[in-house]
Amino acid sequence: MSVTDIVFILTAIVTVGSAVVVVVSRSLIYSVFSLLFTFFGVAVLYVFLGADFLAGAQVLIYVGGILVLLLFGVMLTHRLYNLNLTTERFQPIAGTLIAAAVFASISLAAFKTKWKLVGEKELEPTTQQIGEAFLSSYLLPFEIASVLLLVALIGAAMLVRRRTDV
Amino acid sequence: MNLGNLDSLTFFYPELILLGGILLVVISDISLKGLRDRVNPLLTLAALLLALFYTLQTDHGSAMTLFEGMLALDNFALFFKAFMLVAGVLVLLGSLHSEELAAVHQGEFHALLLAVTLGMLLMANSAHLVMLYLSLELVSLTSYIMVGYLRSDRLSNEASMKYILFGAVSTGAMLYGFSLLYGMTGSLDLFAIRDALLAQEVVGFNQVTLMLVVVLTTAGFGFKTAAVPFHFWCPDVYTGAPTPVTAFLSVAPKAAGFAILVRFFLGGLSQPAGEQWGFISGIDWPLVLIVVSVLTMSLGNIAALTQNNLKRMLAYSSIAHAGYILMGAVLLTGTGLKAMLVYLFVYLFMNLGAFFVVTVIFNSEKTFELQDYNGMFRRSPFLAVAMSIFLLSLIGIPPFAGFLGKLYIFGAVIDQGLYWFAVVGALNAAVAAFYYMRIMKHMILENDDRPPTPLQISPLNRALLVLLLVPNILLIVFWSPIDRWTANSITLFGGL
Repeated sequence: MSVTDIVFILTAIVTVGSAVVVVVSRSLIYSVFSLLFTFFGVAVLYVFLGADFLAGAQVLIYVGGILVLLLFGVMLTHRLYNLNLTTERFQPIAGTLIAAAVFASISLAAFKTKWKLVGEKELEPTTQQIGEAFLSSYLLPFEIASVLLLVALIGAAMLVRRRTDV
Repeated sequence: MNLGNLDSLTFFYPELILLGGILLVVISDISLKGLRDRVNPLLTLAALLLALFYTLQTDHGSAMTLFEGMLALDNFALFFKAFMLVAGVLVLLGSLHSEELAAVHQGEFHALLLAVTLGMLLMANSAHLVMLYLSLELVSLTSYIMVGYLRSDRLSNEASMKYILFGAVSTGAMLYGFSLLYGMTGSLDLFAIRDALLAQEVVGFNQVTLMLVVVLTTAGFGFKTAAVPFHFWCPDVYTGAPTPVTAFLSVAPKAAGFAILVRFFLGGLSQPAGEQWGFISGIDWPLVLIVVSVLTMSLGNIAALTQNNLKRMLAYSSIAHAGYILMGAVLLTGTGLKAMLVYLFVYLFMNLGAFFVVTVIFNSEKTFELQDYNGMFRRSPFLAVAMSIFLLSLIGIPPFAGFLGKLYIFGAVIDQGLYWFAVVGALNAAVAAFYYMRIMKHMILENDDRPPTPLQISPLNRALLVLLLVPNILLIVFWSPIDRWTANSITLFGGL
């Protein structure tokens, strides 16, 4: 086993393990903090795939932006402790069966499918390629994404409007 | 023919006009404090009508792709674009005199209506998975906001929250499906995906994986079209949302969902073969969709039987109609696709009409409960007759337009020799007749002790009702333009 393999396995364990903690943890704070490790783990996976820009963006946006926002949200929540996070309808048997079936089918698909592989590639910076794609063949999605953000902004403005103002 | 970014702009006027409209409405909402309530609806209407004008004017010669293969411009897309814009205009007019929306500030509502219409236009002609996802998300995100528009109403908030949660899960499933497809074909372009699948011969375990792709992506499209088993959000969201928004959701994003479904499955996972399509061997996606279709119409109709809230009943009815419409898409024939378009066109007027009557009654009665509709005929004969016509049309009874839709759909199914499928559809239509008739019975036959005070309808609402009634009554006589238009609209890029 090479060093790369060991690093990969460690990253995978950290990513999946912290993701499990996010779901099963009883406290919101624990969930949010273990999400930090999940995000970092995903960033490392991007590095493994040679997507350097994406890894950087992942850390900047998810860790730097979204996670901090989530933390603020949690901090500003009133009843932070003794929260009952489970739903009223709890169906352990049906839930386990469905989850097992989904897990089996997607992991089988991952291992047994003949993927279209590009083979080993030299590691090269991707930032310039992404920038060029955004302004040429991916121009329209790039612009529509900004319309999407505009809509999100309008929605946010609507949510924070004062009641007297309505 | 593939056009680059600059050349494509000539064929992009409708979308550009809507985009300009959004910005103008936002600006006028901030700057014209006194006038904005009058200017904004006019601006929105102007943008929609101008976009409709340019859509109908579009002369693209043969089918082609725009923006480096991101969008496909063909007659199929133009049909849906015109459809969405007409739906947008009707919903805008219907929302003007709605008491539910009158209580809140409406500036954002108009900007959102334009944005969701823009998203749907893009959905209708996406030919690239990235674009497909982005436009779907633009429509979804805007719909979440519109559903939760009544901020002080608990039901509206709950509906919006449920919609977001279901939407997030189904979009996630769909994206996972896309990623599997990308992994197998190495492409995001629908037509390149098709060519790659044809070139490599789908054998072995790849068949199973592709079935997984079909199921996962159906989750995404099924969510938008409210098909069973991805319909759970539908009754709660339709009940909680402001009624004009419900009317809109039940027609336009549903149609956009069908457009994208056809584009994905017929464009990406099938190949044209003579007068029809053949699915790429090894991926029997029509089978999955037939099951979904049967489940959708049966469950929708059966669940609607016991509802006493008009909005909830119409929500289940719209689920059932999604099942009928899906029947046309799974046949892989031009006739089937045409039947689907005819049905959608007719459905636009009958379903919007029914929801609009509910809006008008809510304006003065503040209720959606069926028993409060008692004696409506004595209080407003016009409203009761209008509602009856919309409902008879939804049942599919001649001489109303709904009959035309059912005739085309069942005809196309029988053409393909799928008799059992047609029988299931017909049985469903019979079940549906029961609950639609129940509404009519309450409105016309049952009276309560209250004195029949006449119901007030504003002149605008009355005019809009007449506007919606006209196609329901006259389409059966003047059906040949629709027949020609839809027959012309089944040309898909890279298809028939």
